Amino acid sequence: MLKIVVFIKQVPDTGSKAGVNPDGTIDRARAKRMLNPFDKFALQKAVELKRGVGAFVTCVTMGPPPATEVLVEAFEHGADMGVLLTDKRLAASDTLATAYALHMVVRHLGDFDLILTGLQTTDGDTAQVGPQIAERLDVPQVTYCEALSISGNVLSARRVVEGGYQNLEARLPALVTVANSATPLEPKRFADVAAVKEFLRHPEEREKRIKTVSLDVIGANPAHAGLVGSPTVVGKTWKLGEIGGSCALFQGESVEREVEHLLAKLASDGHRITELVNG
Amino acid sequence: MAEPKNVVVVAEQLQGDLQQITQELLGAARGLATKLGVGVTCFLLGDGISQLAEKLVHYGADEVMVADDPSLKEYTTLTYRRGVIAMLEHLGAPPPIVLMGSTTIGRDLAPRIAAHLETGLTADCTELDIGDYEHKGKADPTKTGTFHNVLYAIRPSFGESLKARILGPWKNPQMATTRIGVMQALPPDPSRRGNVEKVAVKFDPEDFRVSVVKTARDVSANVNLTGAKVIVSGGFGLGGPEGFEVVRDLASIFKDSVVGASRRAVDAGWASYAHQVGQTGKTVRPDLYIALGISGAIQHRVGMANAKVIIAVNKDADAAIFKFAHYGIVGDVYQVAPALKKALLAAKLGKAA
Repeated sequence: MLKIVVFIKQVPDTGSKAGVNPDGTIDRARAKRMLNPFDKFALQKAVELKRGVGAFVTCVTMGPPPATEVLVEAFEHGADMGVLLTDKRLAASDTLATAYALHMVVRHLGDFDLILTGLQTTDGDTAQVGPQIAERLDVPQVTYCEALSISGNVLSARRVVEGGYQNLEARLPALVTVANSATPLEPKRFADVAAVKEFLRHPEEREKRIKTVSLDVIGANPAHAGLVGSPTVVGKTWKLGEIGGSCALFQGESVEREVEHLLAKLASDGHRITELVNG
Repeated sequence: MAEPKNVVVVAEQLQGDLQQITQELLGAARGLATKLGVGVTCFLLGDGISQLAEKLVHYGADEVMVADDPSLKEYTTLTYRRGVIAMLEHLGAPPPIVLMGSTTIGRDLAPRIAAHLETGLTADCTELDIGDYEHKGKADPTKTGTFHNVLYAIRPSFGESLKARILGPWKNPQMATTRIGVMQALPPDPSRRGNVEKVAVKFDPEDFRVSVVKTARDVSANVNLTGAKVIVSGGFGLGGPEGFEVVRDLASIFKDSVVGASRRAVDAGWASYAHQVGQTGKTVRPDLYIALGISGAIQHRVGMANAKVIIAVNKDADAAIFKFAHYGIVGDVYQVAPALKKALLAAKLGKAA
């Protein structure tokens, strides 16, 4: 049976209005939390392989204790085991330090055939952690993957590239980052959700399924983790300037009148957009 | 060899064609190199591509290192990783700065190189600069100090409407990838002369764990978001994939137009990844940008910030898109878009709308 590790992350829900300040900044304490949307595509691929060729799916996340929520969500979608790496010394990790800590979790777990991650997270947006884990583990990678299959120890994958795609074959073990053009996450199955509810009720069972580990447990060197292990820092930050300024808004009339007023306003502002029209 | 002081750019070519990001990177690197009083070294990898070195010099390289090898015919992570590492080792010591593009190649390769070197890498930069930095943080005393002539890697911090300056002055090279279409290429100067040096790459059998079975690039069907004069984009507010019929229909009346999409619409499978504006998508600068049913998340805003005229249509008068669009209609896309099409065609014919 394939051994699959899926890295998932809890991120602030930027689509929700909770915790979003009027200036667009986020109050992380008040913001709603969610599973990084990209990770859903990775999770879907893992569950497909589990149901297709058979696999044991371990989801790993790093974060403060509430991050367990995304592990529970992963169980509801069909994951078999969850690991939370949580340690105060992980605070302020950049991508290199994050990848170091996460690759040590994989080493702690033992053999694997495939690691799946989302292409990137919505809070960091770097897409760097996956390839950096692959480098640390010395395995090949396929990034921007939108379709994959496994036969023996060969992974066949379709990778998005500018203006098209590539079909690749990679020898396992390998790491794959899944693009948001992959198959979206299917709805949870009732039986899975019910089973999760059941095991969460039993502390012993819960402990068997959800492991909480620290840097010490996974044998990681704290000098490579967190702030100390991060070669980059965020210096100055500043707000993005307003773009375009005030918006001329048309509403409350018939659609035809609104459109007419819009075109008149565009013309009086000197924007000759009809010149862009065919004919 | 003396300590390498040059700013390094990793060029991108596909089947012998230099990719535009390369000229952009060379332009950015020249700016940094001038501030540092150093030159620009360009790494060129591929098979039968040595003739491109001269062009790289014209666009701003002072020195080109070429790895021309049949094993580098197609990009694969591990073979190109080996090539770039071989070139860095050939320099004898880490250069101050290494720049790559935020392309499907650069975003694949740069993190591996950075992890191999255990150095810092900043993704998707929209600005690069050189300056001083004083690190006051006390959590790690080994890092405290003032640093001169360090790389300022500036990127939008999504979801927080902020721009952030990322610094990594403690170790060279300081690495960054830059977003497509943002850095300015210099006009080519055919009188420029530079050194070209070949570098032999010694591959390991393990470098061939990935093979390319097939590459399909349809340049004609390529969605030229970064070059189009008009972009009509659809978002999650369209309610379903059928909404893109309306988007395409409106786009069809413009001479040089393409269909764009927000990430949520791409996530939902309503449009393909190639259409995505913002985020890992593209930064666009059309004359006219029409946003249909797009709420205006920060990543989308950053992607289309440079459009000359932005018109938004959204049912929700409070949608963020109206905070930065120039013109807006509050209403149902399915009614407004056809009405707008009709009125524009009528106006074009000189009839009263």
